[in-house]
Parts: sequence; C-alpha cells; structure tokens
Amino acid sequence: MKADTQVVITGAGLACSLGKDTAETWKALLSGETGVKPVRGFDTADFGSRVAAQVEGLTPGSLGIHPRDARIMDIHSLLLMMAGREAFMAAHPVHSGMLGEEMGFFAGMGMIDYKIDDLMPAVLKSLAPDGSMDYHTFYARGYQEIHPLWPLSVLNNITFCQVAIDLGIRGENSVFCPHADGGMIAVTEGIRNLREARSRLVLAGGVSEKVSPLSLARGHLAAILKISGGTGDSRCRPFGEGDKGTVLGEGAGLVALELRSSADSRSVPYSVMISGYGHACEPLDNGPAPTARVIAWAMNQALETASLRTDDIDLVIAHGDGTLHGDRSEKEAVTQVFSGRGDLPVFSSKAALGHLLAAAPAVDIILGKLIIENGIIPPVLPEDTRQEDAGRGGPGFNLVTGRPLKKNVRKIMINCQSYEGQCSSVILESVA
Amino acid sequence: MPVKKTKRRVVITGTGMVSPLGRNCAETFDKAAEGISGIDYITSFDTTGLPCRIGGQVRDEWLAAFDDRAAGRLERYSSRGLRLMRTAVIEAAVQARLNEVKDRERVGVSLGSHGENISVGEMSDLLRFYDGRGQWDIPGLIKSGNYSPFQLYLRKPDTATSILSMLFDCRGSSLSLVSACAAGAQAIGEAARIIQDGKADAMIAGGCESTLNFMGFIGFVLIKALSEKYTTPQTASRPFDRKRNGFVMSEGAGAVILEDLEHARSRGAVILGELLGYGSSADAYRITDTHPKAEGAFIAMTAALEDASLSPEDIEYVNAHGTSTTQNDLVESLAIRRVFGERAKSVPVSSNKSMLGHTIAAAGAIECITTLMGMHRSIMLPTINHEFRDPKCDLDYVPNEARHTPYRRALSNSFGFGGQNACLCIGAFEG
Repeated sequence: MKADTQVVITGAGLACSLGKDTAETWKALLSGETGVKPVRGFDTADFGSRVAAQVEGLTPGSLGIHPRDARIMDIHSLLLMMAGREAFMAAHPVHSGMLGEEMGFFAGMGMIDYKIDDLMPAVLKSLAPDGSMDYHTFYARGYQEIHPLWPLSVLNNITFCQVAIDLGIRGENSVFCPHADGGMIAVTEGIRNLREARSRLVLAGGVSEKVSPLSLARGHLAAILKISGGTGDSRCRPFGEGDKGTVLGEGAGLVALELRSSADSRSVPYSVMISGYGHACEPLDNGPAPTARVIAWAMNQALETASLRTDDIDLVIAHGDGTLHGDRSEKEAVTQVFSGRGDLPVFSSKAALGHLLAAAPAVDIILGKLIIENGIIPPVLPEDTRQEDAGRGGPGFNLVTGRPLKKNVRKIMINCQSYEGQCSSVILESVA
Repeated sequence: MPVKKTKRRVVITGTGMVSPLGRNCAETFDKAAEGISGIDYITSFDTTGLPCRIGGQVRDEWLAAFDDRAAGRLERYSSRGLRLMRTAVIEAAVQARLNEVKDRERVGVSLGSHGENISVGEMSDLLRFYDGRGQWDIPGLIKSGNYSPFQLYLRKPDTATSILSMLFDCRGSSLSLVSACAAGAQAIGEAARIIQDGKADAMIAGGCESTLNFMGFIGFVLIKALSEKYTTPQTASRPFDRKRNGFVMSEGAGAVILEDLEHARSRGAVILGELLGYGSSADAYRITDTHPKAEGAFIAMTAALEDASLSPEDIEYVNAHGTSTTQNDLVESLAIRRVFGERAKSVPVSSNKSMLGHTIAAAGAIECITTLMGMHRSIMLPTINHEFRDPKCDLDYVPNEARHTPYRRALSNSFGFGGQNACLCIGAFEG
C-alpha cells in the first residue's frame, strides 16, 4: 500500500461497562473481568434474559453537560460524547490548527427507542372515566402534555449532532443504523473520506443502544438473546456449546483516523493502520445472521484490499456474539478462509463487554490496537475451555480462553455482522 | 491535503419514485411542471384539533403489491416507508435492467429511512401494562395480543435495507442511513463513494419516509416546524415567500440506480446522467437551530463542487432544500449567495417542496431525480405559491411557473434536523 493512502489511528476513545476509558477497559479485560450483571433500572422478571453489560454512574453533570441539553440526551449520548472526547484528546487536532470543516465524523447509532415515561402524561390526560383511552381527547389536547423537545430525543441522528457540536466537527459526515455493520461502515467511509482528501482527520465508530425493556424485547423477538436467570455465569459463550445466545451491552467506541503523512506532519504518535475492508449482505433463510458465504466474501475482500494473504494474519477478532446462527456462519467462514490454520488465535470481546451492536466494531478495533501495542491477547472467557471444546470437535481455530495469550501480533482481521444479513471485515496492521 | 486519485465516474442508469403527485417519476414530474400541488387535508389519521391538518399523501393503490410468494413472505416485516421504497425501486431497477447484472456480490443497497412510528393504539395498549414506575406486566401484554411483535421490526431502519437486498438480490454493501432530512442525499452520496472505491459495480440508492401518522406527525407539531397558517392546503408550502410559516409533511420514496460508468457501458445500459459530486457537513452550532451564517450549508455545497471538480460558474440551476420554514429559507439563500457571489441572483433556484411537501429522508433522492429529469426535458420546476417577496430571500426562485431552459449541471441541497447537511452535484451525461 502506498504511504500516501495509509490510514492510521491517532486517537481512540472507549466507554463501556468495564471502564470509562480505554485504559480502564483494557486492564479489566486482561484480568478476565466481565461487565455482564443482572439488569438494573427496570424489572426483568418476565424477560427470558435478565442480564446485560450496562454502564453505571454516568450522569450529564459528570460530563459538564448543561441540563437544557441533557433534556434530550440519554446514556447513549453520554457514552458517545465520552468516547469522542477521549479520542480527540489523544489526536488533539485543534492544537494542530485543524479547522472544524477539515474534520469528518462517521458513526453507527443503535436504535433510539421511545421512552414510555415521556408519553405517559399524554395518555393519562386522555383517559375516559372507565379507564379506556379517549382518542378524541388525546388528538385534541392530550398530546400537548408531551415535552416540546421530545421529538428530537427520538431522532436517530441527534446524539451524533450533539457530539459534533461538542467537538466542533463541521466536515463530511454520515450516520448509519443500527447494528455492528453500521459501525464498521462508518469506519470504512471515514477511510475513504481521508483517502479522497475530503478531510484531514475523521472520527469514526459507533454507540450501542440503551439497554431497555424495548431493546430486550427486540432481542427476544429476534431470538438472539441468551436465556438466563440472572444467576451463575451469564455471559455469552462465543463459539461455545451449551446455551446459545448473546447478551446486550452498552458502550461506545470512536477512533481518530488520518493519513499517515498527516500524522507524521503533526508529529502525532500512532501504532496501527487500517489497511483493508470488505462488506457484504445475504441473510440466512433460517436465522438472524448472514450466510457463511458472504462473511467469507467480506473477509476475502478485506484481505484483497490490504494486499495480504491468509497466512499473514496473526489474529482474528471475531464477531463471535454467541448466537447459534451467527457463530455457526462465522465459524464456517473463518475455517473456510483460514483453511488448515487450526492454531489461528481467535478473540471475541462480547463475553466480557456484551454485544455493543453499532459500537462493537470500533471497540474491537481499539482492542486490536492495544493487542498489537502490548503483545498480549485477553481471554475470551476466564476459564480455559479448549479441552472442553476439543472434546466436541472444537471450533477449528484457537479460541483464546483461560489466561491472556502473549503473542507478537502484527496483523489482525476484525469481523462484524448484523442480524439482518449484513457483514463486514477490516484489517488492522502494525506500522512499527 | 494530499492529491486526489483519479475517480471512477458514477452514472445514473435508473430512476424510480412515488410521491404525493404521482405513482412514478413521469407522473410526478409532469404534474410538478404544471405547478400542481400534491398537498391536501390528511385522511390517513384523525387530525381533529391539531394546528396543522394537511400533508402530502401517497395513494395506497399506487404501492406495488406483494403479489409473489417471495415478496409476500416479507410483507409483514415491511413498513409503509419500505412499501413506498419498493415501489420506487421496482421502477428504477426495471429501467436500469438491474436484473441483468450477474455478479450480485457487487450490487449493494444504500437507503435513507427512519423506520415506522408507533401508533397511538399500540402506545395506549403498551401503557395498559406499565405501572409508570418502571414495572411491566409482560405476560399480560403478550396475552392481550394487542401489540404486534412485528412493530419492533418496522421501527428498525435496517430491516428495510435488508428486505430490499433480498427482494432485489443485492449481496454487496448494505447501508442504512438515518441522518434525518439529509438521509436520502447522503445515501446516494455514500453509495457513489463505494462505487468510486471499486467495492461495487452498481448500487440501489435513495430514501423513503412515511410519517403521516399521529405519532410521527405530532413530533413536528410540538417543535412548531409545520405550517399552521394557510388558506388552502395547496398554498401552505411557500418556500422563500414572505408569508411562509413552516413546512408541510409528506410521504414518498425516490430510488436511483448508480453504476460505475465502465460497467454500465459494458452491458449497454442507457445512461441517464452522472453524479458528479457529493459533499456533506455538520453545522456544529445548536441542536434546534441552523447556523445563522450558513456555515454548514456553505461547506456542503462547496464540498460537492470540489468533489465534482467544478466551480460555481459551472452550475446552471440549484434544486433547493427550500422547506418553507422561516429559518431554512433565509439560511439557504445566504448559503447560495456565499457560494455564487455576485452571480447568485442570476442562478435559478427552486424548491420542489412547494408542490410535494417535505418527504424528509426521501426528499434528497426525489429532488435528485427531478433535477435530472429537468435536464432531459429542459425544464426547471417552479417554486409555486411565491406571492410575497421576502427582501432577505432575493434570489431567482423560478416563481410559480416552470421555466423551459436547458441546463446540464446542477446542485441539489438537503439539510437535516440537528445540523447534518448534504449536497449532490448532478450532471447530464457527457461521454
């Protein structure tokens, strides 16, 4: 790849259940911790899945956000803002005299759900004496009980715009929705943007949706959640046997991307570049996942873009969300693309962080950067499952479990997929 | 900034549309060229008591039926917005002969849309099983059978994208954009970038929206964005007119088939026009206001020109965002003055929303198509209801009657809530 098209990461920001920033999260991951706990904030007694990796203790005040602005914000807004600020702090574009219009912003956003409490006053105002809904009253007057700014809080792009305002970003942008593929497309659109000289720096990544009754209901309807009673080890088991299903998480990840030449001219340190990417879409007929065929196609496309062979890859950070269909398709695709490489290390962050949906790809890219920098791969699960998995035929690759694996990693393939059939892959490479 | 590499050229080989004015591109354009308004009193829900009771509805009989087994299987997952979009894509795909493209991994979908709103009935059903303190009676809700689980799929924007991918056998990149009123234009712009990057040979791109339901509509009533003072529905949308007082909500869909020029040539596709450039920006100002100096709009327009390697002198027409709100029309006029300088008053600018209303995520795609059709027919669509001159809106808005003038290069603006902006530069094809 020509040096003038190399896109490097000059800043990273991460906020999730395991930490409010990149360093905290990394330390917790290496310790084998998980953010998955019984759900807080609402009663899950009637949901099959009662656990999630939620973020605790985050308030608008702790980020210095004015109460006026906080009125239309929720946890996802705060997470994206935190990740953006951390990435910007590291890349410090403004200190280099970069103008707002020279900076781009591309992000994947999780679903924004109605908060029933926002609508409740309007319905209560419209109840007939017998307790039924009086539609005429609702249409004529009841709706006026809804806060005037409520509509903004349910627009998918408002959080994105709030972060753009917070950071003063005025350049090229786009916002995608709502699964992991949206977050990955955001990253690759950012790369294209830089290579075509439309921006000097791009912030790219995504944010999860808030864990709520509606997000859990959506997960159950899609048949993707692990059924758990909230006791014992409730984290998901990527590529493992037993109870299949994923666990929702809250989090955001953003990377500051720029051309290597730009980073050099600004004397900003960097350790990795994103050298390849591929996207495809083909839903399975019988489950919420892409087919193995298109996952393999996206992986091969990423290798081709990066001008690499499968032997060059030291690690795969899999989507590995623990779902029956998702794991099955990805396992088949990985073993097909990396045929004969049973020793290939594979990592997935979802057992520890939960499924961060649109945030997952950027978070995995940031974790990949840390793996390359530190020469150590965190365990997918704290217990060593290799013998157990081998007894069942094994996944066909070396899923890192038990203890962190020390390894000199220079090139990583990172996968992600949606429940609607989309899938994406990128290649992260050391530039040291 | 580094030197740009030579770009692949992206051409348009198919267009499709359904709007309040017609079931397809030709019907819509012909009526718009006559200055006919598609706005009327809303019949899709009860508007009693609302300060705005008008909108641009699409007739149900114009929507393509789910008449084969494969499509029928997906019907229950399909929002009204998707049904509108499917109708538009069928027209575009047939025109482009998209089914003849063999390598379906290199055909993708890029869609701007926002999913379906919850209905009042569903909301009240939900609330019957909620105690107001965070506790839900889920078994009771399920047992009631009143809340369709498919509602959750209808809300998800990527459901529509995925269904389009299945219906039209597109296995390449699949993008779901949710950038409010800029989503349709951004979907087209981002699709073009994927083709330019060599990752796709063809993309279905565009936008759809259907918010003419109570919960979708009252959101805009509450933020006082809709026109509330009008003598007739047809005269309510009056972009750039001194008596404008808000936009008129409409539904619709617009789809284009974008294609790599060489790919289109190799299969003998009819080339309708070229997407010359795309620019986007953020106001980064206030969440409820556009930038008073039109910074975001100016950046998006100049970025589109730069992307097209054109100067403002090359542009012969601007298809304005022109929503008919006080704020947008002032700021957009200022942006056009900043981009075109002394020439601004001689560049024709018109707003399709004067006739179609504001179709939100569909607007950018619909207006891209009408701009292209105008080039083919040498017709600049009018801005109707332009009666009272606003001294701060002092450009040539092609008032009230279509102008029969040839033009070959144009800009099409789309500016979204929250401050996301997009601009497309569209050109007649020059081989």
